[in-house]
Amino acid sequence: MRSERAMLVLAVAVVGAAGLAPMLAVLAESVRVGGQFGLAHYGVLVRSTRQWQLLGHSVLLASLVAGMATTIGLPLGVLMAKTDLPLRGTLAALFTFPFLLPPYVVAVGWFQVFGRGGIVGDWLGPAVAERTHAILFGLSGTALVLASCLMPVVMLLTMLFVRTVPPRLEEAARLAAPWGATFIRVTIPLILPGVLLGALIVFLLALGEFAVPMFLRYDVYSVDSFTRFAALYQPAVAAAASVPLGLIALLLVALERLFLRDRTYEIRFAASAPDVLTAPLGRARFVLLGVVLLLGAVGVALPLGSLAIRSAAPGVYPEAFARGWDALVRSLGYAAAGATLLTVIGFALGYLIQRRALSIWRAVDSLTILLFVLPSTVVGIGLIALWNRPTLGAVYGTAWLVLVGYVAQYTAVTSRATVAGLSAIPRAAEEAARLAGAGWFRRVALIVAPLASRSLCAAWIVAYLLCVRDTGLTMMIYPPGGDTLPVRTFTLMANGAPPLIAALCVMMIAAAVIPLGVIGLVFGDLRPGRQRAKAAW
Amino acid sequence: MTMRLEPGERVALLGPSGCGKTTVLRLVAGFVAPDHGLVRIGDEVVAIDGRIVVPPERRGVGMVFQDLALWPHLSVHGNLAFGLRSQGVSKPEIERRIHEMLEMVGLGTFADAKPTRLSGGEQQRVALARALVLRPHVLLMDEPLSSVDERLNRQLRGEIVRLQMELGFTLLYVTHRADEAADVAERVAQMDRSGGLGGAVTI
Repeated sequence: MRSERAMLVLAVAVVGAAGLAPMLAVLAESVRVGGQFGLAHYGVLVRSTRQWQLLGHSVLLASLVAGMATTIGLPLGVLMAKTDLPLRGTLAALFTFPFLLPPYVVAVGWFQVFGRGGIVGDWLGPAVAERTHAILFGLSGTALVLASCLMPVVMLLTMLFVRTVPPRLEEAARLAAPWGATFIRVTIPLILPGVLLGALIVFLLALGEFAVPMFLRYDVYSVDSFTRFAALYQPAVAAAASVPLGLIALLLVALERLFLRDRTYEIRFAASAPDVLTAPLGRARFVLLGVVLLLGAVGVALPLGSLAIRSAAPGVYPEAFARGWDALVRSLGYAAAGATLLTVIGFALGYLIQRRALSIWRAVDSLTILLFVLPSTVVGIGLIALWNRPTLGAVYGTAWLVLVGYVAQYTAVTSRATVAGLSAIPRAAEEAARLAGAGWFRRVALIVAPLASRSLCAAWIVAYLLCVRDTGLTMMIYPPGGDTLPVRTFTLMANGAPPLIAALCVMMIAAAVIPLGVIGLVFGDLRPGRQRAKAAW
Repeated sequence: MTMRLEPGERVALLGPSGCGKTTVLRLVAGFVAPDHGLVRIGDEVVAIDGRIVVPPERRGVGMVFQDLALWPHLSVHGNLAFGLRSQGVSKPEIERRIHEMLEMVGLGTFADAKPTRLSGGEQQRVALARALVLRPHVLLMDEPLSSVDERLNRQLRGEIVRLQMELGFTLLYVTHRADEAADVAERVAQMDRSGGLGGAVTI
């Protein structure tokens, strides 16, 4: 018992130090005026018309992105998880792909298509390119790019939640109504918490995103607070400016928690129930396939393919490797180390949340979720405010701070994956080991972890992908000379030649493709395409 | 396997776990098609040789599932109204039929309650009412009393028989308990582990 408690307390302490303490540091920094307590920074912000305007822009952008991502992601998720649409496994992977990349890579891809000197300009002339360029830069283009990058969140959560709907509930509806009414009145209301969670995550991720708005020149709040910190070096004002974004995230996560609590149904599964009912699309099958293929071609293949086309010039890749190889290696190293750390901490927290249903662990769970959706500028400013002290030089300005940042921002992913994995393991398996005299470490190492190994592998891979694509947080805390490929590319974007930037983006895509292959191997038999069709009416 | 039920008859399908009793109900409901053979309801062939001819919602069949499958996001009223609305029944008629059915199963005051707030016995009654409010010709019951205690089990057996006699539907009742089968049914069909599904099921 003692070793169990020590391990679990340590995990909570790590998350507290990495995540909660920086948040408190941001608050402390924001109320420090000339070494004294004061609210002058907030006063400046509240009186500034521009700040309110930027906040309005951010909320408008995030709302548009969340709306578009939900409008497309919900039907796509239902199509992928509940129907006999051909190629749905491949299509789900295709639509997920942009989420695995830093969003600005997709923005660069769209720029290569619709920007001045882009592919559209080459084909249709500069007058048309001028028009598409004007659409791409500004609110519309920023919203479209972010929606295409973040839509997979809603699609994947829809797919996940759809598979938790007990088939009997749909069968009971099918006795009285066709599939359409069954979806609208039974399936979708039951998965609504998952869809809303997806929309909320998209809203908050879009709210905190600054690389894409900066590239596509749409002024938003997060860009301003980042600029105040990185360019103008006004840490206290930047800290105060980041607080409203943190408060919005806190408020929305609290609301979501309340909503989910009320809508979490106790669902009884019959032992013999099939996993997922499949709705046949009938004659509409190939029409819908055409529509989805078109969406995938335009929304994913076109912007990413354009990067490959633009970078296919002599001498570009040797230069890209010369300029970015060290950063690429660091990216992979940081991501692998971060994912490993996150998997260990996430496992300990997930164990607490799943096996010890105490309110304190629920609070830890809520904290990790909040940190996940918190804008990276807020987390970054908090980490610097906390760790930038002479006595903490062993961490500040080293790769360790990057790892601390990853733990702060991404623990929710690995702890949630652990919770999902543990919920499928009967408690009796662990209890039997305990009766046999095994201590906690032995039980976890020999019984629980092997049984949850699949979830832990999935958690590691997802954490790796999130770390390898991270731009905003890493940009704020990387050690001198220790930048990653997304940061290096973003820095070069201001002055680098478009083919070089495209080649660096392709290198980033490759860094995501390799683990994607591993995901395919691990989850091969869970893909929707391999789900057995359980019924055929 | 060949099985024939007469209109208004109460038949119990009795057999050990895993012998295919539930599969027979799912064949009749239209959730699966027989690989070979046919299912007929009245004069109509509803499934034949791996093909569903009539989908579940057009068979006039009601079902009470083993796990009840009440929709947790809808009230008792919502659970009963779903099928009636889907079938285009007018609003006043929906209200009248729901009121009548809830009175019949003794849940007249529970219309606004969520199923998760009800006791096991009350949930059983809601599931029964939801199936019967559509006035099915055939009611399929898949071990509906398996999760209630012995006292309630015996009480509900009597209520099922009373409702069947009052409303006159054909009942196909699956159970693995011989005493339950004897109490509920007029005729008991025994299935063993080798029971295949090669012939015709006519109701």
